[in-house]
Amino acid sequence: MLKTARETPLLETLRKYGASVGEFAGWITAMDYGNPLEEHVATRNSVTVFDVSHMGRYLIRGDNLFEFFQKLVSKDLSKFKEGRMSGPVLLLNENAHIIDDVMLYYLSDTEWLAVVNAPNIEKDRAWMLKWAKEWGYNITIKDITLSTALIAIQGPRAPEVIEKLGVKEAESLSILEFLRRTSVLGEEAILVSRSGWTGEEVRSHGYEIMTTVEHGKRVFEAAVKAGAKPAGLIARDSLRLEMGYPLIGVDIGDDVNPIEARYWMALSLKKRGFLGEEVLRRIYREGVSKFRVAFKLKKGVRRIPRHGNNVLIDGKVVGYVTSGAYSPVLGRSIGMGYIEATHSYIGFKVTIDIRGKTYEAKILDFPLI
Amino acid sequence: MSAEDILVKTKLGEYLVKKGLLYTESDEWIKVQDDAITLGITDYAQKKLKYVVNVELPEPGASVKAGEPIVTLESVKSVADAYSPCSGEVLEVNEELYDAPDLINKDPYGAGWLVKIKPAEPLDESKFLSPEAYAEKIRAKEE
Repeated sequence: MLKTARETPLLETLRKYGASVGEFAGWITAMDYGNPLEEHVATRNSVTVFDVSHMGRYLIRGDNLFEFFQKLVSKDLSKFKEGRMSGPVLLLNENAHIIDDVMLYYLSDTEWLAVVNAPNIEKDRAWMLKWAKEWGYNITIKDITLSTALIAIQGPRAPEVIEKLGVKEAESLSILEFLRRTSVLGEEAILVSRSGWTGEEVRSHGYEIMTTVEHGKRVFEAAVKAGAKPAGLIARDSLRLEMGYPLIGVDIGDDVNPIEARYWMALSLKKRGFLGEEVLRRIYREGVSKFRVAFKLKKGVRRIPRHGNNVLIDGKVVGYVTSGAYSPVLGRSIGMGYIEATHSYIGFKVTIDIRGKTYEAKILDFPLI
Repeated sequence: MSAEDILVKTKLGEYLVKKGLLYTESDEWIKVQDDAITLGITDYAQKKLKYVVNVELPEPGASVKAGEPIVTLESVKSVADAYSPCSGEVLEVNEELYDAPDLINKDPYGAGWLVKIKPAEPLDESKFLSPEAYAEKIRAKEE
């Protein structure tokens, strides 16, 4: 069924900065601001601001949230505590297929927040409620996606921008830690976290601010005034691709399992008693037939590998591409995809068929930079 | 932008449609000059395509057929072809696009032109859209 696309609540603000808008996962939002390659480079070398309000956000309330999520997700939460984000965790079905990768925030013992991928907002909510009912947990889920904004400030100069926004103690945050009800521009935000999805967060160069829509507009504008270059989803895509972060529905989905996807940061193999665990352990033990890898093309090749392109060795198909981009940092085309386990020659060469022509590429591990 | 040009505003964006050009259903513009035509993609097309990083042009002298792909445009987001509006011969290609493919984004009706073609027969202008008709087509698509 066709649905009318929703607009990010910050759309008018983004347009002021020359946003070229487009649709992603049913949302109309900024794809770029004229030059996504410059936005990418600015994220690596300076600082950028992204509106990521299209990500789904729920407040989840209940008495036994820890116990419930420990049964529901792939990653061990036993060291998870108040004021922390979980990092990506997987919602798996009984066959260990991936429903979504989500981020959990421990607000209090009885209140957690989940940030989920835009295409799965309704699906994840239904999935959580289904299992809560099945297992007898009394939880409520409040969708706050449309009433809040999520803004990411990313890059080596992000701490400067955060300081200019008047956020106190942000410097003291460790990665995946957040300040709740903290002041931004003299007004209370829902939270400020040290996080992101560009790769800068790994170097402690990423912050995200979740707040009300109206406040969010002012925060975005103030971040630009403080020196952050507005950046859109195209740059966000090439940035995450350099890091090897998979995109749900494109690189991972219900046709691959987490072992094939090598989604190690979302898995805890010592953990017991979660949905999909038995099948996942069997897959781990028995092995898989393909692996997710990175591809790097030669300098000078202008074509970009695209979703569905075949990967070949001596003309034999041994894999396929799921994502591709031009990396302005590496000055060449890069990609992500799957290759047969028997042919996972990391560090060695294959060819990729891009629109009828084959190009040499090297199979590599992530990250590419 | 001259006073006569049309700026189509929709909820998704603003698109310039220049007067004095012909338009195709596949979002190219055509400028007719003597016995040659210049072909490019419209402002609407470049805005949908997004930032162009790679352009594959035909060889000058190549023969082309009406309705066949003549130029491949690759953006950060996707790949699209531009189609030849007529049969004929490629006279000249915009070689500046090899080094600066984003001229297509910066100036789609000017420095971002793609190819010049010598049509085998005089162009039947009635087969193409006027600026007004093309502007209406964009409005209809986006509303």
